[in-house]
Amino acid sequence: MPDALERYEALRASANAAYAAWRSPERPRIDVAIDQSSISNGALRTKAALERVATERNTAVDFGRVHGYGMQWVHPTVQITFPDGATVLYGPVREADAAAIVDEATGRWGAAAALRLGTITGERAGVPSIRQHPFFALEPERRLLKNLGLTDPESLDHYIARDGYRASARIFGRHLSEEIVRNTLNEAGLTGRGGANFPAGTKWGFLFGAPGEEHYLVCNADEGDPGAWVNRVVMEGDPHLLLEGMLIGAYGTKSKAGFIYLRDEYPLAIARMEAAIRDAEAAGILGDDIFGTGMEFHLRVIRGAGAYVCGDETGLLASISDERGMPRVKPPFPAARGALNKPSNVNNVETYANVPLIAAHGSDWYREMGTKAQSGTKIFSFSGDIVRTGFMEVPFGVSLAKVLEACGGIADGRKLHAIQPGGPLGSLVPASALDKLVLEPASFLPYDAMLGGGGIVFGSDRTNVLVLAEMFAQFVEEESCGRCTTCHGGNQRKTEIIRRVMDGDGRRDDEPNLMMIDRTIQFSNCAHGQLSPKSMRNVLQHFHAEYEAAMRGEDATLSLRGATRFRVAQPRDPRVEEAVAICPVAAFRGTPGARSIDDATCIHCQACTDVAPGAVVREAKPAAPRMVPIG
Amino acid sequence: MPLETEARAQIRAIVAEFRPEHGDLLAAMHQVQHHLGYLSREAMEVIAEQLGLFPAEVYGAASFYEEFRFTPPAQTNIRWCSGPACRLKNGGGIRDALLATLGLHDIPGDTEDGRVGLILGQCNGACEIAPMVWLEQHSTHRVEFVGNLNAARAIRMARTLRDGGTIEASIEEAHRA
Ligand SMILES: Cc1cc2nc3c(=O)[nH]c(=O)nc-3n(C[C@H](O)[C@H](O)[C@H](O)COP(=O)(O)O)c2cc1C
Repeated sequence: MPDALERYEALRASANAAYAAWRSPERPRIDVAIDQSSISNGALRTKAALERVATERNTAVDFGRVHGYGMQWVHPTVQITFPDGATVLYGPVREADAAAIVDEATGRWGAAAALRLGTITGERAGVPSIRQHPFFALEPERRLLKNLGLTDPESLDHYIARDGYRASARIFGRHLSEEIVRNTLNEAGLTGRGGANFPAGTKWGFLFGAPGEEHYLVCNADEGDPGAWVNRVVMEGDPHLLLEGMLIGAYGTKSKAGFIYLRDEYPLAIARMEAAIRDAEAAGILGDDIFGTGMEFHLRVIRGAGAYVCGDETGLLASISDERGMPRVKPPFPAARGALNKPSNVNNVETYANVPLIAAHGSDWYREMGTKAQSGTKIFSFSGDIVRTGFMEVPFGVSLAKVLEACGGIADGRKLHAIQPGGPLGSLVPASALDKLVLEPASFLPYDAMLGGGGIVFGSDRTNVLVLAEMFAQFVEEESCGRCTTCHGGNQRKTEIIRRVMDGDGRRDDEPNLMMIDRTIQFSNCAHGQLSPKSMRNVLQHFHAEYEAAMRGEDATLSLRGATRFRVAQPRDPRVEEAVAICPVAAFRGTPGARSIDDATCIHCQACTDVAPGAVVREAKPAAPRMVPIG
Repeated sequence: MPLETEARAQIRAIVAEFRPEHGDLLAAMHQVQHHLGYLSREAMEVIAEQLGLFPAEVYGAASFYEEFRFTPPAQTNIRWCSGPACRLKNGGGIRDALLATLGLHDIPGDTEDGRVGLILGQCNGACEIAPMVWLEQHSTHRVEFVGNLNAARAIRMARTLRDGGTIEASIEEAHRA
């Protein structure tokens, strides 16, 4: 039998050479961070501008590509790697900064001093290491993200040169049995990162023991929770890490084929995963003859089409199998009936991504990070009303208050009001819980809350918590597959009631009705229905005073339609006419100099206060005598 | 057998690579929509034949997903991000302002002249530029990201598109102070 490790060493030798040349290039190289966030910030325009400047000047500089390092609030970023191997990170780099960056790279050190963020590796006098930036204060060590900034995510060579695929070569070379592989995961304490937290090795055992030859290994890359982009970072930033995790999974479950079900909203992740699969096949790492062992594993990307419930594993499996992506009752579990009705195993992207690390370093190493109850590290994405939006990889158990500090706190001098973990099926937790919360699933339970897949949104006191509750109510209603009346009907009623309360038309029996709907929806078949009432329940549990105030037509945040109105405060301010011009519903009355706003016409879109702040104001609606109808 | 129309032959070529019982339905529908902009009745019939399904099964699956459409797309679609970071920054007001500006009642919707559509977007994790929309043009497969909006900027952007302006002009309007 040919030795898989020998095959690997051959690949490794050429990968090492290619990577060494990339790390210590003959002439300076500018790498633009290309990922979905940086592209949204204009990275492609920055890249074009840099290349234009370099061509015009005929400068001795090369161009390359990396994934962003986590600091999305300073996107677009670029890195310069110098011939001595030192790499410096810059941002935000706009088109107008192109000349400064090219100068900095090609001998005029200092030209882009103002844009420097820190060194990624190596040293440069006067430039601190990026690891000293407060945003990374809670990252003792990057494991899942270890290749970010240090590789071209589209290069198989770079992944291999940084020890990638060594563990799988050992495993496929039969140096480890399937059972040892699975046990190692369980000893490490690896549990599913998609929400349910089930031990990965145990789940793999179900498929391994399933009858028949046709086993499918499936990756849940649907990442439907708004506010979570953890899986995207893995797929765009280090696609081979996911592939290697699945390759080891194929071994541990006896699967010869697999699918990555990837949401349509991630076009770059789709492209990078597909390219990575092609490259791994060409290198003999995936396909018919893995590392020359004769074993096979074929992977395909299935592109989703915008259905949240296809993130539920049974919905996902139906969607792969040419059906409507409707979740169904379990059992049968995927190991009995999965993709194309064959035995299958479904894991989240990040679950698989942990596998090569555990296989390479062992379970003791893995348990160095995290808590007793939840070992390892996890990638989180942080957004909302914070100063620094981005992602980081932290050990389970870090304090959420410290996280908010690393994120620069709440922006605009505002105060934290609500914490939103876990997406639409997740929770709304009050600011008062901040000091007691740590990033570990158990910590959220006393609040009837759920940590979830890794997205955490911080809301300030500028927004009433009902605004978020309404958003999620509409989301779960629209995304309900319609199979259970409890879910699709119950969530419709819930949304209507929340809107009524927000509009100042709340009724006394709305709260008991919301609680009854909550109890009813929990009888739905799948977790989408079962968990959908949670965020509104959290409002009644943790934000009851705010709910009560809304019932009275009051709202300290001035963000509810029913409790506020727009008023021309300074009629003679010339900007008022700009407000009149921008209003999309012609709600202004009167003549220039004597304008007023008709509240019945106004849709509260805020365009007027955008163009004429101070001259037009949003204020509490004067209290009007108001009848509260009984029903 | 109905005569093979030119349109049918074209669709057949687009989906020729797909196989029955192989998990190819989503890919086939994406491929058709990529080329034609939507799933016509004829296209769903051809997909059904190709994959050994009933047309009802194809339509049943297609209509389950937000992304598939059954009528030609507007010249430019504004994809409004419905995510939480956007909502905390008046995403709801921006949606209402866009609906009013375009004279629409709901998402998805198109202006009567087919110039501008408003469709639902999902968070993809560029929340540092919230609130945001995407501008999408099927004819050129172009996608632009317009972030750091407010309601006034969104209205100027949408008015420009509604009145026949280019994507460039509308983005310029969105970024004007
Ligand atoms: C409505 C709904 C949406 C879900 N969305 C996702 C998702 O986007 N990604 C994911 O990994 N798991 C999601 N899940 C959980 C999956 O059903 C499943 O538990 C998970 O993929 C198992 O992988 P893991 O054990 O590695 O976590 C969702 C569940 C429900 C009920």
